[in-house]
Amino acid sequence: MNSKRRQFIQRLWQIIVAAGAAQLFNFEELLAAPTAVNRPRLLWLHGTSCSGCSTAFLDIEQVSIVEILTQFVDVIFHPDLSLATGEQVIHILDHLTHHEDGFILVLEGGIPIKYPHACLMGERPMTDWITQLAPRASMLIAAGTCAALGGIPKMNGTVTGSMTLREFLQYKNINKPLVALPNCPMKPEHIVYVLLHQLKLGQLPELDELARPIKFFERTIHERCIYYADFQERRYAERIGDPGCLLKLGCQGPVTHNDCMRFGHNHNTNTCIRSGHPCIGCASERFPRQIMLHRYGDRRAIHNEFDA
Amino acid sequence: MMTRCVVDPMTRIEGHLRFVTHIENQVVIDAQCSADMFRGIEKALIGYDARVAQQVTQRICGVCPYGHAEAAALALEHAMNLRPNANGQRLRNLIVGSYHLQDYLLHFYALCALDFIDITAVLHYQGQDAGLLTVRDWVKQEMASAKVFPAAPFLPRYEAAYCHDPTLNLSAIRHYLEALPIMATLHRMVALFGAKAPHPVTIEAGGVTTIPSLDSIIQFRTWLIPVAAFIRGAFRDDVTAVAQAFRPYFAEGRGAGHLLSYPFFPDATGANHAFAGGATLNGQYQPLDINKITEDSVRSYYSDQPDRHVKPLSSRHLTPIDWAQFNHERAQPNGKYSWARAPRYGGAVMEVGPVARIVNTYHAGINPAVTSLVNQYNQALGLTLADYPSVMGRHLARLFNALLILDRLEQDLEALVPDQLGFIEQPVPRNAQGVGLTEATRGALAHWIATDDQGYIQNYELIVPTTWNISPRDASNQPGAVEQMLIGTRIQNSAAPIELTRIVRSTDPCIACSVH
Ligand code: SF4
Ligand code: SF4
Repeated sequence: MNSKRRQFIQRLWQIIVAAGAAQLFNFEELLAAPTAVNRPRLLWLHGTSCSGCSTAFLDIEQVSIVEILTQFVDVIFHPDLSLATGEQVIHILDHLTHHEDGFILVLEGGIPIKYPHACLMGERPMTDWITQLAPRASMLIAAGTCAALGGIPKMNGTVTGSMTLREFLQYKNINKPLVALPNCPMKPEHIVYVLLHQLKLGQLPELDELARPIKFFERTIHERCIYYADFQERRYAERIGDPGCLLKLGCQGPVTHNDCMRFGHNHNTNTCIRSGHPCIGCASERFPRQIMLHRYGDRRAIHNEFDA
Repeated sequence: MMTRCVVDPMTRIEGHLRFVTHIENQVVIDAQCSADMFRGIEKALIGYDARVAQQVTQRICGVCPYGHAEAAALALEHAMNLRPNANGQRLRNLIVGSYHLQDYLLHFYALCALDFIDITAVLHYQGQDAGLLTVRDWVKQEMASAKVFPAAPFLPRYEAAYCHDPTLNLSAIRHYLEALPIMATLHRMVALFGAKAPHPVTIEAGGVTTIPSLDSIIQFRTWLIPVAAFIRGAFRDDVTAVAQAFRPYFAEGRGAGHLLSYPFFPDATGANHAFAGGATLNGQYQPLDINKITEDSVRSYYSDQPDRHVKPLSSRHLTPIDWAQFNHERAQPNGKYSWARAPRYGGAVMEVGPVARIVNTYHAGINPAVTSLVNQYNQALGLTLADYPSVMGRHLARLFNALLILDRLEQDLEALVPDQLGFIEQPVPRNAQGVGLTEATRGALAHWIATDDQGYIQNYELIVPTTWNISPRDASNQPGAVEQMLIGTRIQNSAAPIELTRIVRSTDPCIACSVH
């Protein structure tokens, strides 16, 4: 074991501790982490996405992205990182389809069913790519709210017939282990944790009925909110900038399951609520809602949902 | 003999892009760009609360969400007849400015550098830098392995003429590795006042919801120090060195060179922008007139009529063609071929982006810092303004933008008042209209909003930077800006057309934005 590798493992260990997962692995187990030969292979595809999950992935801090690429997983293809261009990419993906299996498939964005031409790569619809690649994968990760729960490409008023990855697998009768990591964009710590869990324990973390890791999504924003006491005392902010619970300005914290109030964003630099803005529910099944931030006493907000 | 050269998928850009060229005697004689992804966010916004546009439209793009957040807030402020106070404007500048810097580094290092820099040069590395040693040992190990795709995602690549200078190769690869944590730091700076990055929530019509504290200001300043050192040092050196090593690329990918930009980066009053709006046509600058903007969709995958000279907000529908019609259109020689529409300025095809900001601001003469930076580089590198709309000119102009924005960030940070709210609340306007103009790193961005009698969105329109650049042909069959840049290019090897991918990447396309 060289010292560089040991340092890398130490930083990886910090992520695990930060994610509250220390009881699952011990440090010694991690030291026996994969080698070049058995590193898991990762294939990352963009559905109808904005690339936000990919750029968030680049922000992972405890370990550098280069360490991840060189020591943790083999990124066979990523649309924003790969030097491979054009036909080289199609060659890689066709090779995977016909000759390989056991890789991890990450999908960012929705899958348009009604208008398959709304998401193409190499003249083939994303529906075809997922149909041919998913059965070869060992597990699938729905990265971000679009792939996990619907999100923007499935918002009210869209016409492409966007499906989540889970819906699509059901629709195509493909049975594969799936993890859904909502949040818009996906949190990089969440995916690293899931990959580690699979790597070290050979299985996925415990999931809820929407395939979200219970560890991160069991509780709502509201349950851990810095204003929870104010909420209980009915001390509500009436304007942006007021101290107190933001419920009456549109906060979606009570209906949004996520761990933002524990780990924050961008290396715990900030959270939506700490920055004075109500939670807009970006990790929820109903994102985006018809009204988000609104005035105190806005009468429209009382009956504010589209007919679902 | 004519050959057909297709690049699909075009990687290391945002989103799903395909382009098809026809090549005769090694020269591109025709080119078509297809934006291959559609969500329909623009018209889906109808019926949502006016403030929702800010949160939803920034999710059009995970690379430049700040631009959409700002444009949406500006459009609604225009409809409200409201300007944020000085703190609100400064906070917005700090969020948007930091994000611009992150975006420039992402584009140059993660997306473009390895089109010029030879990554395999790392195999000969002999020094002590830990990052380079890790990469070297890893590449060696991978090449020796029996893997089908060794050293992915860095290989395979187009085998072509990369940089031969071993010093530049190694220092740029080292900076590639160093740029990643700097980019993460810039995202943290966005999060300090924006809550998170990507997709900061706090930019709202009326200002920014975050109250800056002395602590957060000090934190921002602490993080700005290594960022500023990297941009004024490594980034500046790398861009300048690559520009010198690839000098012929000041003549590649020129296109028509008509340049459009919107006013960007105001002072605390919301005026006196650092970058001028305007249009340069045939080298002649004119002030901005947004009434000249129209869109065609004759070659785009929509069935709505009219399909030409459509003004913003004049239609509430955007109807995609179905799968059968799509296949029919793709089979026609003159059929529809892109989800992007074709915006035009007084009928002209315009390039937007860093070059437009620099050249238009230079012509308008409003910012002495721009004038002196351009003069200095023109003299040092033997350039004229006409050389900027080109592959290398775009990279160089991005460096200028970064240096100028960095200076402004430092000023805005010093003037920010701690513990003072930068947000003014007003009810969402009823039966009102507004337009918001700003610049994403990749170019001129405009949002138009109309609200109904309850403050819900009655109509929304977006004309986005990459739509200008990547647009398909219009009603008079004029090719779009990037299509024009590709036509006339001489290529060495149509199996690895790196000349073409360098041109396309130099415009920093964002397909998710272009179609939305
Ligand atoms: S601010 Fe939102 S999440 Fe926090 S207590 Fe109030 S309602 Fe709950
Ligand atoms: S607080 Fe709410 S809106 Fe903010 S990131 Fe968490 S889930 Fe999304």
